[in-house]
Amino acid sequence: MAGAESGRTEQIISNFFLKLLQVVLDSRVPHLLAGSRAGGDKSRKRDRWFNLALGDPPAALENLGLWHRSVADPMVVDVLLLRDATDSESVLERWTVHYEPSSSSSSSSHPSTPSSPFRAATAFSSSSAEAAAAFYKRTYKKCVVLLRSVYAVLRLLPAYKAFRMLSAATLNNLHPHHHNQNQNCNFNLSYRVSSFAEPFTRAEEDEMKHYDFAAVETQFGQITVSVVYRHDLSEFNLESSSLFPPRIITDYVCSPAAAGPSRAFPSSLPSNEGFVQPASSPARGILRFGSGHMSRPHSWTSTPMAHHPLSGSQLSASELHASPMGVFGQRIVGGHQQLGSSRKGSTSFNEYPLSPPFSPSPSPSPPTHSGNLHRRLQSETAPVTIPLPVTGSIPVYSRAPNLSDPTRSSLPPPSPRVARADNSSEDSPEIRSFRRVEGFKLSEISPSLPSSLQKGIRDARDDSGRFSGVLSSCGGSPRVGFSRSSSKLSFQDDLDDSCPFAVDDVDVPDTQRRATDGKAASENQLASSSVSSWTSQEAAVGMLVHMLKTAPPLRQDQSYSSRAAGPGHDREGGGGSGGGASSFYAARRAADALEELRSYKEIKDMLLSRSGSHLPGPSRER
Amino acid sequence: MNCEVCHLKELEVELFQVREVLRCILHTIFFHRALSLVRPKDVDSELFDITYVQSGDAEFEKNLEEKVDHFYSWLEKHPNKKGQVLLSFYEVKNKQASWFTDKVERLYWEQWYINVNVSRPKPRGGQPTPKTSQPQGEAHRVEPGSSIAALESSLREVLFQIVRFVDEKKDHIPPVPNLEGVSFPYEITIPSRSDTSSSFGVDMIKRLLRSGHPSMLS
Repeated sequence: MAGAESGRTEQIISNFFLKLLQVVLDSRVPHLLAGSRAGGDKSRKRDRWFNLALGDPPAALENLGLWHRSVADPMVVDVLLLRDATDSESVLERWTVHYEPSSSSSSSSHPSTPSSPFRAATAFSSSSAEAAAAFYKRTYKKCVVLLRSVYAVLRLLPAYKAFRMLSAATLNNLHPHHHNQNQNCNFNLSYRVSSFAEPFTRAEEDEMKHYDFAAVETQFGQITVSVVYRHDLSEFNLESSSLFPPRIITDYVCSPAAAGPSRAFPSSLPSNEGFVQPASSPARGILRFGSGHMSRPHSWTSTPMAHHPLSGSQLSASELHASPMGVFGQRIVGGHQQLGSSRKGSTSFNEYPLSPPFSPSPSPSPPTHSGNLHRRLQSETAPVTIPLPVTGSIPVYSRAPNLSDPTRSSLPPPSPRVARADNSSEDSPEIRSFRRVEGFKLSEISPSLPSSLQKGIRDARDDSGRFSGVLSSCGGSPRVGFSRSSSKLSFQDDLDDSCPFAVDDVDVPDTQRRATDGKAASENQLASSSVSSWTSQEAAVGMLVHMLKTAPPLRQDQSYSSRAAGPGHDREGGGGSGGGASSFYAARRAADALEELRSYKEIKDMLLSRSGSHLPGPSRER
Repeated sequence: MNCEVCHLKELEVELFQVREVLRCILHTIFFHRALSLVRPKDVDSELFDITYVQSGDAEFEKNLEEKVDHFYSWLEKHPNKKGQVLLSFYEVKNKQASWFTDKVERLYWEQWYINVNVSRPKPRGGQPTPKTSQPQGEAHRVEPGSSIAALESSLREVLFQIVRFVDEKKDHIPPVPNLEGVSFPYEITIPSRSDTSSSFGVDMIKRLLRSGHPSMLS
């Protein structure tokens, strides 16, 4: 090759090799995308080559570009299927890209070679700059079209399905706290780039199909692309098992009316049996354990594994199982130097970005299915005021908020833990009865359930106890309100992310609860000894869960915070000195709420001391 | 410059499948012809286990949906008729206005004929006919999954047909615009609402007059 034209042609060819390699790998090897991406202006310029913007190439590709020293060397890209069970590898596809100079005898033998005038013209146009430029542009245009065809074919070949399965599993396992299911594939995809191809065995050839793309003529030779692929992957039994198979909730509880006492709580909770479809039940937070799988019978939980004590083991198992795919990073055979970055893809398994597998840039749109899945599973419900089940006693919930402030009727019901924590005579009889009732309801359920579930239920009660600050303020003692919105929202988020009976990650309330839970503990023991009918328990649990989930968020009102006057003050009004309590609405954890409660208590004490009002003693610290 | 014409394999579809089939085919063709800078967009077909590629051209997508809707309406009004959608790419040449032609002349350099045959949905869950015994009635029952699988296979063949045609015919393509988002001018033609097959032919003649030279049928 001589002159500028040969330089430009060589530039086209080398960039074509890199671009095609990127197209193939982006469509076949998910874990490669988890590695670092080569950014910068150079990558952005390279991305515009052939008018096909795929985003920044993987960093490993940069080294591959260095490896490909000569455009005359063919590039063979093998897409490998690695099966976990047999620890074997099979070639699913073999892409071969070759630049054949005109001097080689094979340049004129391709049947689909474009019209010969271009080839004949090269002999005359080599000295004509305009003709050479035209040839160069024509070559570039044909490379553009060829790459489009390769891109489209990659999505039509059978191996694309395997890639999609693996991509989905990779994405889900990297982000278990999102609302996707944990998935596990029994295979992995890798690749091998070399300058020569090991011939297939006869058996492999029989299972392969072959497609040759039309060669692209250059001024000095031609570029050929071909693919050999397995047309049937059924023999490999590629599977992607889901830990949380999707299921339709036929009796979704969307309102208290839907969770009536007639609905039966699931009676069978197998520990080591297969997955069981739950019966219609309002309490879908029950976790089912079967073969190491967890159920997601209800729509609130998008990641039921997130906070459950067993979730760690599950996730770790899946992650460990998935990690071997990182072992099969890029490999280069044929006597070439092993690249230093060969393990980049393997070690960066957990860095898989939330982006389409073939393009990390924001512009291209992801495959619609994953996006839909992500959007579908990220469902939230708006807070709804939930009435308590009337159990013969005073309907406390509907009254408790009014004890303190009529405007705060949207507050969630008081919790047993609140009353236990206060343990004060100031609590109204209604609150005490509610506490008793609720404690009975919850504890009745506990003995019948697995220990993990009981723990979850206890933690659900802890969550309800986050509202203790409000109730204690409602209870007449001059407590400054605090914002429950954060804890409520975070609890709701927890519900969205996990089973409502899952362990909450707030430790403080749990500790405090146990420290002050003497009276309630005895109540629970008494209650646990008498088991009511399973139907009422289910209904109560369902109601409770529903209440906890859809209770309105905490709200910090000025009016509420200004109620710093006098004992038994349970109405709005009073002291306008209400210091710094401002209305805000933020999602925070229970610990933050408790901290705030303490601070407001201090403020209250300070105000009281200033006002000289007669209060029944100092604020209680938990 | 030659006008390359490609008649795609006819597809047997049900009415509700027409839109999705046309989307797969038209987007695939356009992706191979939108040769300016594109950011490809993978789309999973709603009805089939096929992923096709869109060029990301919003204008094309809007035109496509509009034409597909019109074609769907036409099929509803003309049941048991074979429908044909024509996707044409042309160059614009300025020409002196005359009595019969516009000032702007269109030189078509590629045309794609997409043929669909809308069939009535076959009875499912068959009740055995009086003349047939129960086993035969069940044998005549058409599995909906098999018809969709067959159509999916045919659709995949059509997409491969597009790839092969694009791969083999490259010389007739005009110079590629270098600007992002600028593609070759195109036209999607569907049978008109009051159309019969003869009127469709009249549209073709009009197009020929406009283009100034007859199209070369393959």
